[in-house]
Amino acid sequence: MNVITQALSAIPGALIAVIVLVGLAPLAEGLLRKLKAIVHSRQGPPILQPYLDLAKLLIKEDLAPCANWIWRMAPALCLGGTIVLALFTPIGGKPPFAFSGDLLVFIYLAAIPPIAIILGAFASGNPYAYVGGSREMMVMLSVEPVMSIALLVAAIKAQSLTFAGILERSAAEPSISMGVAGIAFLLALQAQVGKLPFDIPEAEQEIMEGPFIERSGPGLALFKWALHARLMIFTALLVSIFIPWPHVANAGLSLLLTLAKMAVVLALVGVVDVVNPRLRIDQSMAYYARIVVFVAVGALIFAIVGA
Amino acid sequence: MTSAELIAKLKERFGASVRGVSEINPNKVRVEVAPDSVAPVCEALYRDYGARFIITAGIDSRPERGCFDVDHVFSLDPDKTFVIVRASVPPDAPSLDSITPRVPAAYWAERELYDVVGVKAEGHPDPRRLIMPDDWPDDVFPLRKDVKHGDWPSLGEENADASYPWKPAPEGTSTVVVGPFFPVLEEPAQLRLYVDGERVIDCDYRGFYNHRGIEKMGDSALTYNEIPFIAERICGICGFIHSSCYCETAEEAMGIRAPRRARYIRSLMLEVERIHSHLLWLGIAGHIIGFDTVLMQAWRVREPIMWLCEKITGNRKTYGMNLVGGVRRDIPQEIQPELLEVVDRIEKETAAIIDAVVGDTVLKARLSGVGVLPEEKARELAVVGPTVRGSNLPLDARVDHPYAAYDEIPPKVITHPDCDNWARVVVRLEETIESIRWIREALKQMPDGPIMASDIPEEIPPEQWGVFVVEAPRGEAIHYVVTGGDNRPARWRVRAPTYQNLQALPYLIAQETIADVPITLGSMDPCFSCTERTEIVNVRSGESKVLDQQELLRLSREATERMRGR
Amino acid sequence: MIISKLKEAIICFKAGRVTLPYPFKPHDPAENFRGRVTVDAEKCIGCAGCAEVCPSRCIIVTDPSPDKRVIEFFLERCTYCARCAEVCPEDAVTATQEFETATNDTQDMHIKVELFMSTCRRCGRCYEPPTPLDRPMETGMRPPAGGNGNGEG
Repeated sequence: MNVITQALSAIPGALIAVIVLVGLAPLAEGLLRKLKAIVHSRQGPPILQPYLDLAKLLIKEDLAPCANWIWRMAPALCLGGTIVLALFTPIGGKPPFAFSGDLLVFIYLAAIPPIAIILGAFASGNPYAYVGGSREMMVMLSVEPVMSIALLVAAIKAQSLTFAGILERSAAEPSISMGVAGIAFLLALQAQVGKLPFDIPEAEQEIMEGPFIERSGPGLALFKWALHARLMIFTALLVSIFIPWPHVANAGLSLLLTLAKMAVVLALVGVVDVVNPRLRIDQSMAYYARIVVFVAVGALIFAIVGA
Repeated sequence: MTSAELIAKLKERFGASVRGVSEINPNKVRVEVAPDSVAPVCEALYRDYGARFIITAGIDSRPERGCFDVDHVFSLDPDKTFVIVRASVPPDAPSLDSITPRVPAAYWAERELYDVVGVKAEGHPDPRRLIMPDDWPDDVFPLRKDVKHGDWPSLGEENADASYPWKPAPEGTSTVVVGPFFPVLEEPAQLRLYVDGERVIDCDYRGFYNHRGIEKMGDSALTYNEIPFIAERICGICGFIHSSCYCETAEEAMGIRAPRRARYIRSLMLEVERIHSHLLWLGIAGHIIGFDTVLMQAWRVREPIMWLCEKITGNRKTYGMNLVGGVRRDIPQEIQPELLEVVDRIEKETAAIIDAVVGDTVLKARLSGVGVLPEEKARELAVVGPTVRGSNLPLDARVDHPYAAYDEIPPKVITHPDCDNWARVVVRLEETIESIRWIREALKQMPDGPIMASDIPEEIPPEQWGVFVVEAPRGEAIHYVVTGGDNRPARWRVRAPTYQNLQALPYLIAQETIADVPITLGSMDPCFSCTERTEIVNVRSGESKVLDQQELLRLSREATERMRGR
Repeated sequence: MIISKLKEAIICFKAGRVTLPYPFKPHDPAENFRGRVTVDAEKCIGCAGCAEVCPSRCIIVTDPSPDKRVIEFFLERCTYCARCAEVCPEDAVTATQEFETATNDTQDMHIKVELFMSTCRRCGRCYEPPTPLDRPMETGMRPPAGGNGNGEG
């Protein structure tokens, strides 16, 4: 009985989370494109263009180079995983599906979309997709530790494995370790969401969108949407956990405030994206190895000693 | 060493094998040698006398003299001299010793020689087809005179299923196919990368999908004064280079020279073209490494000069200015302040770009130490333009073989010691600044006078020749003209810079990662259309087959299966 | 590195927006732009000089009867060099500013001038080539351009 009421009460929050993190994601992408256009000294596409792109792709024909069920499932798995991930993402307040240990569930779920991309890439049989898939894997392997350690720091500080506990604690008392962990998370964000200089797996000019080279129509649309949503989810997470101030009690106001902060972080991501060339995979691996060692582990040590 | 001394030495060394000498001026000589001593003579030129191989031209001289002529063109850069080694080969089963084992830079030139004229290079290490399509008949050589322009050979069954004999993949590698259509290559070309993981072990190249039969048109359909317009269309970016080079060459063959003012105008437009080409390249290089802001901003900086070109010549890119004997439009006095103002602005912006990018460590991380071409290798492969100057060799046709107005105002040759992709970026950026300085200088010194020669002869005798090399933004473009009757050349040979530079590609990308292949290729500023100007292409047997969607899908699935099985 | 990124950003923002609203607003080419050519039939004297110099052979002259000459411009082949306008002794051929020539109907790109030719009372040689290289190979006549024709003069 208790479980059912809990689940029912989570529905409005879940709807809001999906609408904000998945539904508004193309809008955020549209704003980023506009920002890019400004830096490029050009007019740029309409802000709603990503929606139009997705709509166009969705009504197009889906061409398959192979009759492989992994290939067919991958886009749905990717977007589905992303939507479920959105349900576990805190946006200012505790996430819609909050329970003890939801932090760990989030970390596990966060790996599903990249894995779907990698599986879909390998299933396609295209050599470029192979290269893209293996690059995606390497990026994942180098970025996930940074993110996990940063979240672990938060968990240690809060002595809690729930987002609710972490939020409460991190808003109450800022600390050095949380600051350092936040920076590590911010540095990982660029690669986590596949923006330059780390859009190595897709690398249009080198391997022609890598994992997505054989994709067309709805399949491509689902992947694209999942990537847009990924940008929102991780930004929301960063803002909620590492930049929780000012704390407001009103849920609606808190949501708006979080969105505003997210816009700032997204703008930063967008600016870094336009002023950088793409790195090579080995350079990016080395870069993240350094961050893990210096920043994330540093934050961990700070957290353990209690700073 | 003057050409007279060189010939004396050759005569001393090879005795009676040196049969005759034809000379336009002391800087341009043609030495006729016995066919069996072509290879030793070429080797001596390359190894002992420091000559640089430029191009091979095969000429079908059967109507006039009953033989094929093979001309190997060499350049003695320090002496500003061209030496052409000519051998006449008998018409049945023509063949000649290959010079490639001794002069590596002749690798493509000799493959092309067989493809288009049918003179076999005996002992060539890689006698595969270079130019003609795979299903082309084995006995049709398009640049022979018995093939008329517009002839379509019947493509029999013999080669109907022919495919290009790719190099076998080395042990333990998988194959990544780049092209024929690839995002960063604006033109079709196919590159097979044999990779181990992300690392490229070896590669093979098949290009020449873009032939438009331009050389054939030049010697069978067009007249002297029509060729500049088609020459300009050899390339979409450095078209004026080709028309200028053709005109200078044809003028030399006819024994005339354009008036001074016309030569200044040509040089000015050539420098303008260099500026916009280098800025265009900078943008594309940025795009290749995913830095689209560079693309947009470099092209923004470039745009005013395009509009100015439209004002001066009537078109923003294809100027249509050149005719044999001079130019069609003057650069009027009124437009000069505007020209100066535009180049001033570009200079300022380019300087700002240089200032910004030299400190950009991320950019440098992508470019430094990648695509390294050491000096001695650059010389061996005879690469040209910014590619060779980035390898610290001061080769620049404007100084080595002055044409147009460069004999009066020599430009500064920019080199860089790093020999890598970064060096080639820096060389191009600094050349842009140098071009602007040159334009200012030239506008100050530009003489008054006519812009078209008045002494064009009524009759142009056949068998006259001329050779010129023009420093295009990508390197040296060479035109070689032999006059014929009928108001048109008997042979018009063009070599674009990319033709030579592309041959260095396997060396440049070996042991690099896949990620560095596009930018290394891009660092040479490849221009496939330029490279592939020759010959007629044909579609298979003229019958077209429309694949329906199911069939296309099936074919592509089959291809995928094949690929996976490999 | 940060400084160089800032410098790059300054270059970008200083420029402002530079793209033009073309094609929503017209953009006129420069004054002596070589656009699509037109022929003033009133001025044309039928010397066929334009056909002689056209590098792309898109101007075809035919004489269906001794007193009639037809000059046709197949402008879909035109390369916009404007040599025809340059050599025309009567300035009948001129290059316009028009550059938006995309069309679904190739007829839009054809110009046909029919001239009634009487005995010329002027000099007998109306078209004087600018240089000997432009001399008529065979006065005013060329086989049809295009196709697999030899295209020789």
